Amino acid sequence: MNLKWISGRTGTFDWLFQRVSGVFLAVAFAVHFIVLHFLGQGTFTYYSVAERLAQPAWKVFDLCFLFFALYHAVTGMRLIVDDYVHSAGWRTFLTCILWVLAVFLFFSGAVIIFSIKAPGA
Amino acid sequence: MKAYKPKRHYRWHPGFIAWLLHRLSGVALAGYLLLHLWVLQNLAKGPAEFDQIMAMFDTLLVKVMEIGLLGVVAYHTINGLRIVFMDFGPMAEKEKYIKYLAGAFAVVAIIIIVGGASMLSHALSR
Repeated sequence: MNLKWISGRTGTFDWLFQRVSGVFLAVAFAVHFIVLHFLGQGTFTYYSVAERLAQPAWKVFDLCFLFFALYHAVTGMRLIVDDYVHSAGWRTFLTCILWVLAVFLFFSGAVIIFSIKAPGA
Repeated sequence: MKAYKPKRHYRWHPGFIAWLLHRLSGVALAGYLLLHLWVLQNLAKGPAEFDQIMAMFDTLLVKVMEIGLLGVVAYHTINGLRIVFMDFGPMAEKEKYIKYLAGAFAVVAIIIIVGGASMLSHALSR
């Protein structure tokens, strides 16, 4: 298999997976929005959120949603950093900040997703 | 001293406006994602505290701002899909480009008007 196109230097991976994650997010967002704002009662309480999050399928969905949203956001912000920050040092620093923030948000979000118990359980 | 200072000259081509709006809405959505995840972190504090924090957002101002959020999300999604179709499909062809762009803008406008009207009437009736 020729994996040369995946080279980190060309940005091809970033370009392709920004589209892949974008399409995933468009579908996931539609599900997220319809289920939470049309099929739900429209108000969010601890119990309404916990009831949904207690189901394994929603845990998987929300975990994927979180992962792709953070990946898409970091890649987008990094594109902006690459466009406007001309000093290599600052660019590295800001890119590091973005990834550290994304990893932190992913794990803290995952802890919430996994630790929520069904109300009354 | 710089010998030559490049002159910024923008031609306000619809494609440039679409790119600019995509970038601005992307930054706004990254900010919203941060806020959204911060609010959900409060689930760890338990039912009483979480519901108290959620009650803070139950104001007319927030409901109106949510219409803006719908607009930003709708634009970034529809224009993003247009970019995907442009990269992998025939939407970049010169004579089709402007038609698809106008179509994308129209779909976003419809989502904002229909969604915004229903959200506003819902917020006012409560």
